[in-house]
Amino acid sequence: MRILLAEDDRLLGDGIQAGLRALGFQVDWVRDGFAAERELRAQVHSAVVLDLGLPQRDGLDVLSALRSDGNAVPVLVLTARDAIGERIRGLDTGADDYVVKPVDLHELAARLRALIRRAHGQPRDRLQVQDVSLDPKAHQVNQRGRPVATSAREFDLLHALMLNAGRVLSREQLEQHLYSWGREIESNAIEVHVHHLRRKLGAAAIRTVRGVGYVMPVHAAAP
Amino acid sequence: MKRALRSLQARTTSLVVAVTSAVWISASAAMWLDTRDELDELLDAHLMQAASFLLVRQAGEDEELEHGRSTALHPYAPRVAFQVFEGSQLRSRSADAPSTPLIALDGRGGSFATVSVDGARWRAFSTQAADRDVRIIVAEQVAARNGIALAVLRSTLWPMLLALPLLAAATAFAVRRGLRPMKQLGRGLSARSPTDLAPIPTERAPAEVQPMLEALNGLFGRIGDLLDSERRFTADAAHELRTPIAAIRAQAQAALTVVDAAARRHALRSTIEGCDRAARLIDQLLLLARLESGTAPELAMLDLADVTRRVLAEATPDALIKGQHLELDAPEHFPALGSIDLLRVLARNLVDNAIRYSPKGARISVTLQAEPGGTVLTMEDTGPGLSEPERLRLGDRFFRGGTSQASGSGLGWSIVRRIAALHRLDVVVDRSPQLGGLRVRLTFPRG
Repeated sequence: MRILLAEDDRLLGDGIQAGLRALGFQVDWVRDGFAAERELRAQVHSAVVLDLGLPQRDGLDVLSALRSDGNAVPVLVLTARDAIGERIRGLDTGADDYVVKPVDLHELAARLRALIRRAHGQPRDRLQVQDVSLDPKAHQVNQRGRPVATSAREFDLLHALMLNAGRVLSREQLEQHLYSWGREIESNAIEVHVHHLRRKLGAAAIRTVRGVGYVMPVHAAAP
Repeated sequence: MKRALRSLQARTTSLVVAVTSAVWISASAAMWLDTRDELDELLDAHLMQAASFLLVRQAGEDEELEHGRSTALHPYAPRVAFQVFEGSQLRSRSADAPSTPLIALDGRGGSFATVSVDGARWRAFSTQAADRDVRIIVAEQVAARNGIALAVLRSTLWPMLLALPLLAAATAFAVRRGLRPMKQLGRGLSARSPTDLAPIPTERAPAEVQPMLEALNGLFGRIGDLLDSERRFTADAAHELRTPIAAIRAQAQAALTVVDAAARRHALRSTIEGCDRAARLIDQLLLLARLESGTAPELAMLDLADVTRRVLAEATPDALIKGQHLELDAPEHFPALGSIDLLRVLARNLVDNAIRYSPKGARISVTLQAEPGGTVLTMEDTGPGLSEPERLRLGDRFFRGGTSQASGSGLGWSIVRRIAALHRLDVVVDRSPQLGGLRVRLTFPRG
């Protein structure tokens, strides 16, 4: 899952980025309000961690502009201000969650997973499509109760497909889900990961829509 | 006693009683003198009358008076004595009269005299018969006269002495009643909670305490402002400490979570850096709190050139890391008046800011020179500078200029401004005409 982190403090941003990456997120880190707005326009992130005290453009301004653009990306506000009034203002402006510094990395990760899950209408953290279940927290995939070993990329790809089960995702969309910037993407990376997943889960699990992209059907196709 | 007099009520009461007593005592003394004068005149007249009466009787009843006594018509009568002389021969006298003449027999008579005989003082009058050589001396003991005067005085003093305690009690009561508004005011003040700094209503207070109340209200106002600024400062400080602590926590947790050894080392180094940053923020906060407590620093003559040189030497390693060029243009010595510790902190903050907010390879120039307006310390750099609104916000606590790429405490300028104010320095911030970046000019006043 690809997260946008907007935090101006160098050490804190660096620590959250490193920690969230270790917990299985792709993290893009921006350090001012303008950069945050620019990145959000691309609409490639599953969730945003937004510091309110951003230079150039205040976090709340970024948030209200985002919502008036009709962008519904889940936003978790991270701030040093804990006055009730501030929280209410943050939530009313369109924040989905509000966390006061300092924050536990595991809690931050859990809250982000919950936000992303809710944004996709999933009541539970564990995803179930066809006979495949995926646990984002434990980074585990099971098929008919049998664990399936996946690489980090394969897991992220499957996670994206399962979150959007029944919807076709283009190769670009999948690439954006998988890679934060600055990482080399080979042109056939998605094809290779899909190929590996089909071998592990069965050829019918993921369907190719020629010229459009890939989809994971809600119900397995008849054999 | 001393304690009792500190009470306005006790003081006023004793003053009133003392003044009243003093007035009464003076009045009594005046009355005593007046009574004695009047009494003397009256009794002198009586003496004269008695003498002429005796003179008349003397003509016919010589014999009877041989051993005669004055008639005891009055309690004081026994003290009245008389002598009758014919020529220099004592013809008769009252029993208590001495046998020698009380007034010398020469002279024409008809005169008063006060004489001492055997320790007793007499007021005497002598008169001479017109037709023969008979002289009458009538005398009265002065002690008797004083007794009468004292009796008069006593009769007026008694009621006074009885009235004195009553007067004291009445005065105490009246003063207590008069001071009741003060007491109510005091009760109201002592019942106040320490956080209640609302002004005391003055419209119903006595006119005498109005100036005091107004001064008190002024003080309340100033204390309130101070408390507000303290509260704001504490709140700001707490918030500002959250971010460095959050960074330490995030880095430490990242170190625990990441698998890659290089990433873990990076996270641990960042943890330590975060601790250093938090410590510096706390140092700056403490310094600012001390500066804002308002105690004036001790100023002494110091070498400003030496202070600046040392600060630049300390800052050089940081500048070298960023490949920046530091330069100082100053005379060998430059005497100035100030606190050496505070001026060092001021210069260090300015230089640190220049290093922190200027890019790699920037030039930072410091000059110290005498100008018509006074000694001027200038720091300028080739950095990005600050916009006009940003320059105005310099010195706001926790304001960080620019894009905040550098992790300052946001307190440096508050400290600079405070130290400058304590030294009465003039601070001007603008764009450097030579280097294009920020220019800070500190002018030390003359004298």
